[in-house]
Amino acid sequence: MDTPLYDLQHVTRTFRRGDATITALESVDLTIAPGEIVAVEGPSGSGKTTLLQLLGALDRPSGGHVFFEGRDLNALGDHELADLRLRAFGFVFQTFNLIPTLTALQNVEAKLAPTGANAAELRERALTLLGEVGLADRAEHLPSQLSGGEQQRVAIARALSTGPRVVLADEPTGNLDSTTGAEIVELLTALSEEHRQTVVLVTHDHDVAARAERVLRMQDGRLLAPAAVA
Amino acid sequence: MFYVRYLRSELLRRRARTILTLAGLAVGVALVIAISGVSRGLDRAQKTALDPLSTIGTDLTVTLSPQQNTGGFGPGGGGGGRELLDANQSAVTDLSKLGKAGDHFVHDFFLPGTQLTFPQKQAKQISALSGVASVTTGLVLSAVHQEGVVPKIVAKIRTGGDTINIRRRIKPPTTAEFEAMQKCFEKAGVGGGQQTGGQRVQPGGFGAAGGGPDSAAARKCLPARLRKFQATITTPEQTLQQLINPPQTNIKSSSYTIAGVDPSQPAIGLVTPSQVTNGHYLSSGTEALLAASYAKRHSLKVGSELDLNGTTFTVVGLVKPPLGGQSADVYIPLRQLQKLADEKGLANVVLVRATSSADVSKVQKEIEQTLGSGAQVASAKQVADSINGSLVDAANLSHDLGLVLALVAAAAAFLLAVLLTLSSVGKRVREIGTLKALGWSQRLVVRQIVAECLATAVVGGLVGVGLGIAAAGLVGVLGPNLSASTTTGGGDALFGLGQALSRTATTSVSLDAPLTVSLLALGFGLALAGGLLAGTAGALRAARLRPADALRQVE
Repeated sequence: MDTPLYDLQHVTRTFRRGDATITALESVDLTIAPGEIVAVEGPSGSGKTTLLQLLGALDRPSGGHVFFEGRDLNALGDHELADLRLRAFGFVFQTFNLIPTLTALQNVEAKLAPTGANAAELRERALTLLGEVGLADRAEHLPSQLSGGEQQRVAIARALSTGPRVVLADEPTGNLDSTTGAEIVELLTALSEEHRQTVVLVTHDHDVAARAERVLRMQDGRLLAPAAVA
Repeated sequence: MFYVRYLRSELLRRRARTILTLAGLAVGVALVIAISGVSRGLDRAQKTALDPLSTIGTDLTVTLSPQQNTGGFGPGGGGGGRELLDANQSAVTDLSKLGKAGDHFVHDFFLPGTQLTFPQKQAKQISALSGVASVTTGLVLSAVHQEGVVPKIVAKIRTGGDTINIRRRIKPPTTAEFEAMQKCFEKAGVGGGQQTGGQRVQPGGFGAAGGGPDSAAARKCLPARLRKFQATITTPEQTLQQLINPPQTNIKSSSYTIAGVDPSQPAIGLVTPSQVTNGHYLSSGTEALLAASYAKRHSLKVGSELDLNGTTFTVVGLVKPPLGGQSADVYIPLRQLQKLADEKGLANVVLVRATSSADVSKVQKEIEQTLGSGAQVASAKQVADSINGSLVDAANLSHDLGLVLALVAAAAAFLLAVLLTLSSVGKRVREIGTLKALGWSQRLVVRQIVAECLATAVVGGLVGVGLGIAAAGLVGVLGPNLSASTTTGGGDALFGLGQALSRTATTSVSLDAPLTVSLLALGFGLALAGGLLAGTAGALRAARLRPADALRQVE
């Protein structure tokens, strides 16, 4: 087997809240292969989001190591992590996190802009992606003028815009009704399969989790099921 | 470019926040500009109005007050105070100077006021003193302009028309007289006394005696007593007294001050070219400068003609004369005023400039010693101290508070910029987290936020500069008039004349707020610095957060 995409070794993440120390993740060991579609399931507060943020280099572990494509993320500086987030990862959030003052098109361009593409390239690429999520005609709308499902599609287009190797989705259906949620998961999985991207999906919805190739269960900061490759 | 479009969208689509930030910045900047402007305006007004001597190139003024002079500086008229009093009074009351009764007249009387005149040559004593750089003389007179008809004073006294009745009994002729008369008649051949004529002359009937050609002869025969009546009548003594009402006249009188300056010494004098606000300085001949306020009051302007007792002066300039002891409404060449006022070769003020400002008090002492007690030597500071009025209060206020106010306003503007920017950035922590999750580097995020803050600061600063200019303009239009006044001549109440002839010079300075480019730049710079600093600080703080923490922030 090739080098795993992710290799987590004894990853612990603790937070200080006042005098108390809260352990969000406790000694998690996990490997994820390229192209996998993984769902992380568990009750709220079980550490799902913390795990996802460590995978996406949004956070650093308190203990242990996160290897991505063989590189220890602990060893990378903030600037290199930013570059990794730009080119290797794509995030989809529960609350969409679109920039409210930018149109759908500009929100996609916001992710592309740091790559240094010129204005015409940005626009063309962003329009293509909006087309892929079925929102070509909504390009000039502001987030406030779009429905929840539409906003999440824009977020997916944005996440995929730089051609990342991993799409990290944190409760992507959490703020959507079940029909729309299903559509969004469908879109996400379909597009990532098409682009051969790895997907890590945090959810507490069994139906959503069921669409994944592998389901990880978490409770109290620990992985319940053995982290075995399917 | 995406970043620019992002910036524009951010500012335009968060309109309320942008406007709030802009308004805060603008008001702060405008306050700094307006307050500093007003402060400067007061300073400037103070400098021109309250430091009157320095603007006319003078450190000291020397005048002679009417009292006995023991020094070598004698009054030109000689005779001291009494002389001065006479000069003032005769000029005021002598209507005979005006012309014939009933004539229309226009006349300007020039009164010496309470400053004694002295020969100009005596000023040389001062120029010889060490530490004196230059000296010039001037003549400041109170003038009364009168216009009207010379009054006629007519007293009508009607006398005569008395009837004097004298009653007196005349004794009839005595027998002896009668006989003598008879004889006389006979001798004259007048048929009197004889029976023949059947005529009998009666004593007392002599009036018609004869009736004929002999009446003359008959008259001769009368006793001397009856020939002529002689009596002395003394009429009763009477005093005629009539109240003569004041003559009816339409004389209009207005007073002003007039000063003679030496046009050949423009650097030092009662008025110098630097006070000319319109037109040009006196060259010579029959030219006049008018105090701007006087010109306004009398609707005169550059080019107007001024007739002073038959000499026509052309107004060549308007001046804003410095307040202080020796300001005037009308300035003409000294020689001309001397001629008009019949004060040839005389002056009543000497202006002295010391070679250096450090020498002023030394020179003042020297002059006082040389000239004795009659000479009053006033320094710039003393003149300034004699000025009072709202301008002084405002200037003092400005002096005390202006800097503090400007600093407070500047600090407030700066703080406002910082706070508004920080709050604006603080509300976007989550957005910053999102940008970082998207792969924006810290540098990019900071750059974006700082650019936004800078753009806001630039616009806010510009609006503030505009507001500040408008506010300063408004101060100029609506600003209160500050006045400064000084009274000269009234100091010594000699002969009670002091009051009457004292001159109160008042300068009214409309408060304005002069702005300079550097002041505007300062206000603008404050906004810019505040925005930049706060933007950088806020952006750095937010961008340093781990994206995970930033994302956790509740919007």
